[in-house]
Amino acid sequence: MNPPGSLAGLDPNLDEHLSTQILAPSVHSDNPQERIQARRLRIAARLEARRREALGEYLDGKKESEEDQSKSYKQKEESRLKLAKLLLCGTELVTNIQVAIDIREIHRRVEEEEIKRQRIEKLENEVKTSQDKFDEITSKWEEGKQKRIPQELWEMLNTQQLHCAGLLEDKNKLISELQQELKTKDDQYVKDLKKQSDDICLLLERMEEQVKNVMKTFREELYNIEKAFEVERQELLASNKKKWERALQAHNAKELEYLTNRMKKVEDYEKQLNRQRIWDCEEYNTIKIKLEQDVQVQQLVLTRVPGWRSTWPTPVNVSCLATTCDILEILEQQLQQRKAIYQLNQEKLEYNLQVLKKRDEESTVIKSQQKRKINRLHDILNNLRSKYAKQIKQFQEENQSLTLDYKRLVLQFKELQKAMRHFALIDDEKFREIWLMNEEEAKDLIARAFDVDRIIHTHHLGLPWTAPDFWFLKNVGPISQQPQKSATQIVEEMLMHTEEEEAEEAASEPESYLDLPKQISEKTTKKILMVLCDESGFLIESKLLSLLLPLEQNECYLLRLDAIFSALGIESEDDLYKLVNFFLKYRAHRLSSSLQIKSCSQASMEKASMEKASMEETSMGSELELAEQTEMEGAKEESLVEGEKEEEEETPPSPWDIHPNDVLKILEAFVMGLKKPRDSRAPPRVQKNMRNNSKDSEYWQALTTVIPSSKQNLWDALYTALEKYHIVLTQRAKLLLENSSLEQRNTELQALLQQYLNSKINSELQVPPTQVLRVPTK
Amino acid sequence: MQETVTTSALLDPSHSSVSTQDKSSTGGHTSSTGPQPSKPSITPVSAKSRNPHPGANFHRMRRIIAEDPEWSLAIVPLLTELCIQHIIRNFQNNPILKQMLPEHQQKVLNHLSPDLPLAVTANLIDNENYWLRCCMQRWPVCHVAHHGGSWKRMFFERHLENLLKHFIPGTTDPAVILDLLPLCRNYVRRVHVDQFLPPVQIPAQLRPGDQSDSGSEGEMEEPTVDHYQLGDLVAGLSHLEELDLVYDVKDCGMNFEWNLFLFTYRDCHSLAAAIKACHTLKIFKLTRSKVDDDKARIIIRSLLDHPVLEELDLSHNLIGDRGARGAAKLLSHSRLRVLNLANNQVRAPGAQSLAHALAHNTNLISLNLRLNCIEDEGGQALAHALQTNKCLTTLHLGGNELSEPTATLLSQVLAINTTLTSINLSCNHIGLDGGKQLLEGMSDNKTLLEFDLRLSDVAQESEYLIGQALYANREAARQRALNPSHFMSTITANGPENSVG
Repeated sequence: MNPPGSLAGLDPNLDEHLSTQILAPSVHSDNPQERIQARRLRIAARLEARRREALGEYLDGKKESEEDQSKSYKQKEESRLKLAKLLLCGTELVTNIQVAIDIREIHRRVEEEEIKRQRIEKLENEVKTSQDKFDEITSKWEEGKQKRIPQELWEMLNTQQLHCAGLLEDKNKLISELQQELKTKDDQYVKDLKKQSDDICLLLERMEEQVKNVMKTFREELYNIEKAFEVERQELLASNKKKWERALQAHNAKELEYLTNRMKKVEDYEKQLNRQRIWDCEEYNTIKIKLEQDVQVQQLVLTRVPGWRSTWPTPVNVSCLATTCDILEILEQQLQQRKAIYQLNQEKLEYNLQVLKKRDEESTVIKSQQKRKINRLHDILNNLRSKYAKQIKQFQEENQSLTLDYKRLVLQFKELQKAMRHFALIDDEKFREIWLMNEEEAKDLIARAFDVDRIIHTHHLGLPWTAPDFWFLKNVGPISQQPQKSATQIVEEMLMHTEEEEAEEAASEPESYLDLPKQISEKTTKKILMVLCDESGFLIESKLLSLLLPLEQNECYLLRLDAIFSALGIESEDDLYKLVNFFLKYRAHRLSSSLQIKSCSQASMEKASMEKASMEETSMGSELELAEQTEMEGAKEESLVEGEKEEEEETPPSPWDIHPNDVLKILEAFVMGLKKPRDSRAPPRVQKNMRNNSKDSEYWQALTTVIPSSKQNLWDALYTALEKYHIVLTQRAKLLLENSSLEQRNTELQALLQQYLNSKINSELQVPPTQVLRVPTK
Repeated sequence: MQETVTTSALLDPSHSSVSTQDKSSTGGHTSSTGPQPSKPSITPVSAKSRNPHPGANFHRMRRIIAEDPEWSLAIVPLLTELCIQHIIRNFQNNPILKQMLPEHQQKVLNHLSPDLPLAVTANLIDNENYWLRCCMQRWPVCHVAHHGGSWKRMFFERHLENLLKHFIPGTTDPAVILDLLPLCRNYVRRVHVDQFLPPVQIPAQLRPGDQSDSGSEGEMEEPTVDHYQLGDLVAGLSHLEELDLVYDVKDCGMNFEWNLFLFTYRDCHSLAAAIKACHTLKIFKLTRSKVDDDKARIIIRSLLDHPVLEELDLSHNLIGDRGARGAAKLLSHSRLRVLNLANNQVRAPGAQSLAHALAHNTNLISLNLRLNCIEDEGGQALAHALQTNKCLTTLHLGGNELSEPTATLLSQVLAINTTLTSINLSCNHIGLDGGKQLLEGMSDNKTLLEFDLRLSDVAQESEYLIGQALYANREAARQRALNPSHFMSTITANGPENSVG
């Protein structure tokens, strides 16, 4: 009842339509259930087909991959070869026709060419002969013209006619031949056409045959391959089946074996059980018999209680019984006792049990308490842990923030420093400007004062005036000290000087230009430095050395010394002098010590000297003079000792005496000694930038007292005198003014009087005033 | 029950066809079903193809038929259906296609008539199914594979070919073809015409004498027998790639005249100008057209420095040495990959010039000189050229009067050359010794797959042994094709050996 499944190889739609009409539930039926059924069947069929397909493919692929030498592979290979051969042969067979036609065509062409050549030859010959004939005929015409006799002419004409006819005949023959040829060619053409059509037919036939053949063989081969696959599959199936059967058989055999084994074992066990049982029964029986015998014996004994002791050896009934009764009594007593003991024991045990139960309860309570406690402690622990973690986090954060703060502060500090430096510079500048301004002002004032003084002196006092000359008047700008030179600068200077010196050669006073500390000559310094430079090359970086090669000697020395100094930590002038002094001292000590302790070994001596040197180094500043003294002494001593040997270089402790090998030791000692002061060097450096303002007030004070007090007193006196003089002069001026005004009034009054006297009214009056009055003028 | 069986049998064809067309959309009509049907008299429009069977009313009561995607229970046809019907009916006057939804487009295309005028359909419809119907209606045998697998292209190519074949200059209106041009220009890639009709002769020919006098008449009427000028057409086709022409007349029957088969100079010039202007042309074939040296040179001159031309086929013509020299020049001035000069009249000098061009050519893959007459001189020249050439794979020298000296040289070439895969020396006079020498050369060769020595007087033994060697080579080539990585190593390993040998 599954037709779609059986036809699944075909198109599922088609077969479904075909099959459902007749047998299966149709998808077009009225009943929905039936339709559903039909569709289900269809889906199942499709799935089945797909699965089969996939499975087949899978099998194929597997076979191909894993069994190269299998039968199917062989068959496939064989079929492939066979088909290739067939195809090749078939194509050859088909193309053979073309090839044959080709070669026929070639032959035809060759023949054609030959015939053509012959024909052309023939035609040419023919043309030649006919031309000859024609020439003959034409020549004869000329001949004919000379003929006068008609018969002859007729004869000749006849012959000419004959000749012409022959010529024409020849031509006609040729034409007919050619036409014949053409006809044969036509025939041949027709034949060729026929042949070609035949060939084409053959070709078609062969092609068809080939196609058929190929199709057939392909089918066959396909069939063969399929068969091979099938066979192989069958074989595989058979072998697998065989294997399976064998395995099954083996399994069955094993099962059987196990079964028999088991059966055997069961039987064994049964037997053993039986034996055991029998044995047990026997034993039981024997025991029983024995016990029964014992009872019988005891009964016997009981029966003879009274005299059982005496009668034991010989079992007599009565005495035995008595004894047994006794024994029974005793036994009963003992039983009672036992019972009592048991009772006691039981009570004891019960009591113990109670106690134990109580204890158990207590212990459980305690346990629970402990548990609770543990829990609590756990909680606390957890809390503490979390707290701890939190705190760690917090502190980390704090740390972070603090570090951030720190960084920020450092930055700020740096910025502040920068600002400070900046402001310091600006302040310096400002200070300088203000100073200059003030100074200028002061100088102006002073100049004015001097001017005034000069005027007073020359004009008022009539004394000659001399300008005072003070040191501060020449000063311009803030008072400052000379900066300290750095070690390298000094060295540079020194080198320059020595160079000059060498150039001059004559100069005999080396101390003149150097402000070196007193006793050390420049030459010695230089030599010491040279030795130092040569010996302590390891302090210089190799890169620098390579760079130095092309430079001049002096520059080279300078740079190397610079490097060495930086390595040794020598920075200032003082350090340099310290170094040089140290060298000198070292030498002196060595000499002295060698003088003092001749037997001492070199090493110990050096050690001692080094110690001493370092000690001295520490107290260098104070003991400088002392050292110089000792040095001088050393020099003296040296000169005393070695005077005979080296007379020339006696006065300065020449560095040649410092053995190059010692230099390193000296340096080591020096560096060891220098360590301490270096630590405390930081603060002074800070002060370096501080200005010394101690002299400022003095300076300004000096500026104020440019006019001395004696002169001021003089000025005061002069002032009061002049004041008095001024008052007198003003009084005089006032009096003069008064006098002049009075004079003016007088003249005015006189004029008025004159006017009155001269007026007309006077004449009209009875008494002229003139009469009355005495004219003052008259 | 009987009734249901009959109806299903009747309905089967339509069902099966529809379901094969559109299997996937089964069950997509649940939403389109309307209210319960009451009147069975109204037939759904969509079931036009179905046989309306009055007895199968219950069939229509079903909501869904999973096997029929067009099944609809709607009593009144949907408006979309009506519209689509209308559009189909009036498509000629008012073609509406692109504005519709894809499924509606599909429906319209399925019902359009293949007889619609091309002016309407050509540039509007791209659906292959429609053009398949058009082609099937017009031609009984259709090889769509010859036309790049596109039915539309096939339709236009064959349509154009038909028009050209039956075009008679002077009588047919040239507008017939030029009108088609804007419609087909985007689809035609290949023009294959095996017949060009001459203009109709107005003076009636005398039947009996025509064959013999045809030559003189042809000369007299030559100006009038020009064929259709392809210039405009070729210039109009923007995607033309292949041009396959035969100036020939088919089925002339008893009207045979020599001047029917003329390829005139004017034809030649116009054709040359046309192909020169066509920069998309890849394949050009002009066969069986009586092309002689001068015409060949005209055509080849127009092909010099052509940007894309790959194949030139001038077989079955009358090309001699001068034409061959032209072809040799073309070899060095183009990207030609295939050259076919079969069945012409090339002799030794032509072959020598071809060989000279071939010696340093790096494009040519196939050279066919079948049925010429290059003889030993030409053959030797070609063999010399092959000693330096590293590109040619196929060489056909069948029927060229070659003999032993060429074979000697070719055997040397075989030992050296690693590119040649196929040589054809059939129908020559190689001879026994030549065959032995070729066998010697073959023993050192690992690449040759085909070597045709039929009918060339070679001893059967050597032919058999050569066949064995070829078989071995073919097997090796097959192995190489199966695992290409191995192939590389063998090539590198073989290289030095070959050069030493």
